[in-house]
Amino acid sequence: MAQQANIGELVSMLDSPVLSVRDDVTAVFKENLNSDRGPMLVNTLVDYYLETSSQPVLHILTTLQEPHDKHLLDKMNDCVGRAASRLPALSLLGHVIRLQPPWKHKLSQAPLLPSLLKCLKVDTDVIVLTTGVLVLITMLPMIPQSGKQHLHDFFDIFGRLSSWCLKKPGHVTEIYLVHLHASVYALFHRLYGMYPCNFVSFLRSHYSMKENLDTFEEVVRPMMEHVRIHPELVTGSKDHELDPRRWKRLETHDVVIECAKISLDPTEASYEDGDSVSPQVSAHFPHRAADVAASPYVDTQNSCGSATSTPYSSSRLTLLNTPGQPPQTLSPPSTRLLAEPPQATLWSPSMVCGMTTPPTSPGNVPPDLSHPYSKVFGTTGGKGTPLGTPATSPPPAPLCHPDDYVHPSVLQATATPPRKEERTDSARPCLHRQHHLPNDRGLEELPGSKGSVTLSDLPGFLGDLASEEDSVEKDKEEAAISKELSEITTADAELLVPRGGFDSPFYRDSLPGCPRKTHSAASVAHGTSVNPEPLNSSLDKLGPDAPKQAFTPIDLPCGGTSESPAGNRERQASLETNILTPSPCKIPPQRGVGLGSGQPPPYEHLFEVALPKTAHHFVGKKTKELLKKAKGNAEEDHAPSTSPVEILDRLIQQGADAHSKELNRLSLPSKSVDWTHFGGSPPSDEIRTLRNQLLLLHNQLLYERFKRQQHALRNRRLLRRVTRAAALEEHNAAMKDQLKLQEKDIQTWKVSLQKEQARNSQLQEQRDAMVTQLHSQIRQLQHDREEFYNQSQELQTKLEDCRNMIAELRLELKKANSKVCHTELLLSQVSQKLSNSESVQQQMEFLNRQLLVLGEVNELYLEQLQNKHSDTTEEVEMMKAAYRKELEKNRSHVLQQNQRLDTSQKRILELESHLAKKDHLLLEQKKYLEDVKLQARGQLQAAESRYEAQKRISQVFELEILDLYGRLEKDSLLKKLEEENAEAAEAAEERLACCKDGCSDSVTGRWETTTGEPATSIPTTVGSLPSSKSFLGRKARELFRNKSESQCDEDSVTISSLSETLKTEPGQDPGAEGKAPPSLDRPHPSPPTPDSVGQLHIMDYNETHHEHS
Amino acid sequence: MTEDSQRNFRSVYYEKVGFRGVEEKKSLEILLKDDRLDIEKLCTFSQRFPLPSMYRALVWKVLLGILPPHHESHAQVMLYRKEQYCDVLHALKVVRCVTEATPQVEVYLHMYQLESGKLPRSPSFPLEPEDEVFLAIAKAVEEMVEDSVDCYWIIRCFVNQLNNKYRESLPQLPKAFEQYLNLEDSRLLSHLKTCSALSKLPYDLWFKRCFAGCLPESSLQRVWDKVVSGSCKILVFVAVEILLTFKIKVMALNSAEKITKFLENIPQDSSDAIVSKAIDLWHKHCGTPVHSA
Repeated sequence: MAQQANIGELVSMLDSPVLSVRDDVTAVFKENLNSDRGPMLVNTLVDYYLETSSQPVLHILTTLQEPHDKHLLDKMNDCVGRAASRLPALSLLGHVIRLQPPWKHKLSQAPLLPSLLKCLKVDTDVIVLTTGVLVLITMLPMIPQSGKQHLHDFFDIFGRLSSWCLKKPGHVTEIYLVHLHASVYALFHRLYGMYPCNFVSFLRSHYSMKENLDTFEEVVRPMMEHVRIHPELVTGSKDHELDPRRWKRLETHDVVIECAKISLDPTEASYEDGDSVSPQVSAHFPHRAADVAASPYVDTQNSCGSATSTPYSSSRLTLLNTPGQPPQTLSPPSTRLLAEPPQATLWSPSMVCGMTTPPTSPGNVPPDLSHPYSKVFGTTGGKGTPLGTPATSPPPAPLCHPDDYVHPSVLQATATPPRKEERTDSARPCLHRQHHLPNDRGLEELPGSKGSVTLSDLPGFLGDLASEEDSVEKDKEEAAISKELSEITTADAELLVPRGGFDSPFYRDSLPGCPRKTHSAASVAHGTSVNPEPLNSSLDKLGPDAPKQAFTPIDLPCGGTSESPAGNRERQASLETNILTPSPCKIPPQRGVGLGSGQPPPYEHLFEVALPKTAHHFVGKKTKELLKKAKGNAEEDHAPSTSPVEILDRLIQQGADAHSKELNRLSLPSKSVDWTHFGGSPPSDEIRTLRNQLLLLHNQLLYERFKRQQHALRNRRLLRRVTRAAALEEHNAAMKDQLKLQEKDIQTWKVSLQKEQARNSQLQEQRDAMVTQLHSQIRQLQHDREEFYNQSQELQTKLEDCRNMIAELRLELKKANSKVCHTELLLSQVSQKLSNSESVQQQMEFLNRQLLVLGEVNELYLEQLQNKHSDTTEEVEMMKAAYRKELEKNRSHVLQQNQRLDTSQKRILELESHLAKKDHLLLEQKKYLEDVKLQARGQLQAAESRYEAQKRISQVFELEILDLYGRLEKDSLLKKLEEENAEAAEAAEERLACCKDGCSDSVTGRWETTTGEPATSIPTTVGSLPSSKSFLGRKARELFRNKSESQCDEDSVTISSLSETLKTEPGQDPGAEGKAPPSLDRPHPSPPTPDSVGQLHIMDYNETHHEHS
Repeated sequence: MTEDSQRNFRSVYYEKVGFRGVEEKKSLEILLKDDRLDIEKLCTFSQRFPLPSMYRALVWKVLLGILPPHHESHAQVMLYRKEQYCDVLHALKVVRCVTEATPQVEVYLHMYQLESGKLPRSPSFPLEPEDEVFLAIAKAVEEMVEDSVDCYWIIRCFVNQLNNKYRESLPQLPKAFEQYLNLEDSRLLSHLKTCSALSKLPYDLWFKRCFAGCLPESSLQRVWDKVVSGSCKILVFVAVEILLTFKIKVMALNSAEKITKFLENIPQDSSDAIVSKAIDLWHKHCGTPVHSA
């Protein structure tokens, strides 16, 4: 609680008048906010602000950092919920939002938004509604994506409020409704700009209902006249509008500008990228100009335009008479010059705006004063091109024309003021201000006194109100303006040049706008018919003042003061008008750029030179505005629709007018005038309405300021683009230069190429000549060659013939040779045959002789044979019979033999089968035998193992027995020794040693030792008996006798020798070997080594025994 | 095959549903019905399947050569064996090597010593390591076999088989153990190596005594089925399986002494599972024996 109280104190200290205290407390709060994350502090601050609306608290709240935004929004949500605190909460919200805090994106999710919407839907207080709507409009471009959820809420609100504007429920005052209407109008623009498809479909559905038709006709339709068809209506769709992707790449100010783009309302619209269509431009021209004049509250830039309040009448006149002018004033050497003047007249605001504010028009400048200048310009105009380039010279000329008509002598004077007046202005700006105030006021007063406030007077009032509300800012602006003015004057010399540079683009710009002329002319004509009287009257009345103002500033203050003593508050507007009056065509653009970018004049000039396009745009816009305004003013009464903003403007103007009037009237007599004089209503009520109005105006102002900031943002970005484009152009120029250089290069190269080509052709010719020469040579040589070839051909054929001949001859030779050979052969054959035949003849003779001999012999034998033929036949028959018998016998024998063979074969078969059976049997037998053998072997093995076991058993037994024996003998020997102690020691010793050997052997060794040395064990057993009979005993005795003196070590040798003797004489001691055979038969006699060890041990024992005994 | 026709036609499915050993008994009976028993077939059978306990003693006796393959001579050979047993026992009694008070296993030991000719002269002669092995095995067999003659003979022949048939292969087992442990779980092996416990594992207990005293007899006899039928490699897998089963505990122990001590006294409750897994492992690594000599 203490802390709470502390905070309360601190909060109240925030408003302390001491600046240092305030700063300290603010710092403390910021620190607290940084360290503390709780909502308490924020809540306190908000409460305090709602109570007192103190500025430091507001400052703290609007700069809250991230973690506190939630508390702040929650708190504001609370406050908006409560009717009492709704209005201050909304205005706080507006303040916060306009600063675009980094957490603005959270607004769409915050509960505050729905509650705000709800409030807008249900609340009936116009002030709250207006404030809320403005806040909502400000907020919308920051949270475009949230449209999805709340779109219909927005539309509902729009529907509700638009119907409100018409129906005026309850006791709402008209004045409030104007504000509300303006804000609804802004909401319309925002919604249409951001969600055209959805919005149009809403309008369609909402106003198709009959009960809403009136509202549509009265409220919505006029609004629609101020917007263009949104391109999204053609290309987009409902869903596409709500697509977050569409909004993602647009920043807040982008959205604002987007919305402004589709507006046709001069106060709302913005033209950039040159996308506005020329007819439209022309249509707006006069209207815009008038608008500028009428609404100085926008900013100085616009207020510049207001300066053009001068010669409306004159301009009108000029317009009417322009066709005839050019020949008079100018003797144009070129068509271009001819074309330019009318354009110049067209746009020049001095002529257009003169109608609205006649008083300060330079057109009223007295002829005498302007004479010198007119002379100068007249000469220049007559010469046609006195100032150098024709592009720069025209500006003065066209300006002259309009005025020229009105006051022929002043023709050039109107053109000169720009320069001259600037100088004078800059020299004494303060003075100017002062003395102009009354002028303007005076002008305004006149219509006011008549009882009706003209539109032209509104800006003055508005400006007053604005200056009242934030005088600080105004003061600043003022300071800036004055500063700039001084700069302009100092840079006067330079200014001349930039102006020329500036002018040229300007005129270029106006060229395409030719058609405008007719439009404006028409509109102006229209306008003239409407309100010629006030203008004329004002002109007439105020005419004398104007010259003083322009050219004799010192005199003016007196006049001014005399006319309007309480001009303090109008100072602003008048100042501006004053500054700008002289040459609206030249200064406004400069000024606008200068103020917008905050650049000093020298830079400006560069800027304009570098960026003709923007300047051109700007100027275009400017002129458009002016024209539009003029037109709007002119046609005010019967224009189909008037922007609600304008109505508001007018209202304000009116209010200001009335206010000032009253003030003027009352200030001098006494300040304590009864307030009831003003409105007739009780003061408290009056004050309240005024306050509310003030509040509403403030809201409006803040909203407009927000828009301006967005525009400034936008401008900055565009400027960046522009500079970039300029850089690119520079680059292009550089590239062009390079290109030129390269073209030059190319030229030189081309020349050299030609040279080379000529040389080349020469060479070519030379070469051709050479070639033809060589060709002829070649032809000759070929001819020669052919001749030689023919010759060789002939020779060749000859050679061939010779060869053929030779071949034929050779063939003949061969034939002849063969013939010779053949004949030789035949000859030899014949000779041989001859010899053969001779020998055959000889043989034949011999054979014939033999034949004769044999024939004789044959005859002899034949005789013999006939003698012996009778006795041979019997013998043959006998022999045949014998043969036959013998054959039969043999046949039977064969039969017999066959039979025998058969039987034997059968027998063999039988026997073979037998044999097989036997074999099989044998195999079985063998198998069985094998089986049995195996079985038997198994049994045998078992038996053998049993036998083995038995053997082991018996061995164990033997061992046991031997052991027992050993013990027994030892006992008995010991006894004997004792007995025979007295007897012959030597013998006893010998025997003892011998016995000991045996005994100890048997005792110490295991089974193996005993079996391995049967010979030693036997003598021990025998030795124990009467030993003289035993062979061993004897042998041992002998041995011991022989070696009684020998060393003990040798005993082992003797023993082994002993055993050997035993083996060699087995039969000699059968008794002694009774037990030995099994051991001798043992397959593995154990090695003697353990024995010897044992004996060694025994010997030791013996020796010790010796020594004892 | 006549054997197949006699067998239960469901036998194929028994194994599929996990009933092992249902058909083994029958096939073993068929095998035992043969006159002149086929030792090789019995070996293969006993390696492939667990032996039914009612035939275990018989099969062992046949495989160890205590009984010949012929049924006819069984009675006579058994008589011989019994007589031999009685004789040896008597002899020992005579030499007063054993008395009535001597425990049975020591009696067996003395009998074995007598038969192998190594009977110490005095009963106080200190026991040699091989005698210790014998005593351990004897203790295990005594639990398995009731008849003391059979018991003695099985012990005797089992020890003889270890000493003769496996003389070469037993020292190789530690190496094989390392190899298979590496295949099964190399991390465990490396742990043992880092603890330098690999050389200090109870190889004597495992391979010389064939786990006698390490595993309970009920599971031990299944291992010994394989040993008796001619495969000593099963010992390696039992050892590997013991390590795998107690892997977590072994991994937790860091000193060789502790590991050895733990392995010498492993818990008995999981022995059956160990043996089953070891046999599976053995089959996995050495393949199911078909007809190995």
